[in-house]
Amino acid sequence: MDDLDLRIRTHLYASFVRDGAAQTPEAAAAALGLEEERVQEAYRRLHDAHALVLHPGSTEIWMLNPFSTVETPHRVEAGGRSWYGNCAWDALGIPGAMHGDAGRIESDCPDCGELLELEVRGGELVRGAELLVHILVPARHWWDDIGFT
Amino acid sequence: MVFLRSEEHLERWLDANGWEPGASLTATKLNELARRWWWSRLDPDWRPRPPAESQQILDDIGLTGAFWQLA
Repeated sequence: MDDLDLRIRTHLYASFVRDGAAQTPEAAAAALGLEEERVQEAYRRLHDAHALVLHPGSTEIWMLNPFSTVETPHRVEAGGRSWYGNCAWDALGIPGAMHGDAGRIESDCPDCGELLELEVRGGELVRGAELLVHILVPARHWWDDIGFT
Repeated sequence: MVFLRSEEHLERWLDANGWEPGASLTATKLNELARRWWWSRLDPDWRPRPPAESQQILDDIGLTGAFWQLA
């Protein structure tokens, strides 16, 4: 990951937070005045470095962790906007990543489908503290299949 | 990583899918972890965090043991 990759990554995060959508290599290249091919290569390097996640076999962005670019069961309200987290961990990370003190999260219990509601205020969890969190995959294998993790 | 209603729901979910249990933590602990883990992600001067620093965050939160070892 070189300086150009980091510049592209910063642009991708900023534009996602601004627009609510991840830019294609074509759009990012146009915005940054770069060749599209160079931007595509940077996307792949950023994916390999776990700085973002691409859909398999493509240069379409899937995750700008903690944000998901696609709908998930983990819905977040933070910074006056709606987002999707990739998982429980990411959903609770979105208010912090936006340096906000507050956020609301809705998720679904994968057992019964019941709506689960959490709220963060002042950085503290003030609703949903009784809920349980479970992770199936040991840390050393998180990136083996990040979609499953 | 998922939120579940309770231990009972967790056990039913694992059984239904034939999965071995991983690790559980409270939503409060996850909030503490998530806030530290993702805090700098949108910073314009973000740089990849060295694995040792990530491990330190897990350790600080009390997530220790073989399951939580990144490497």
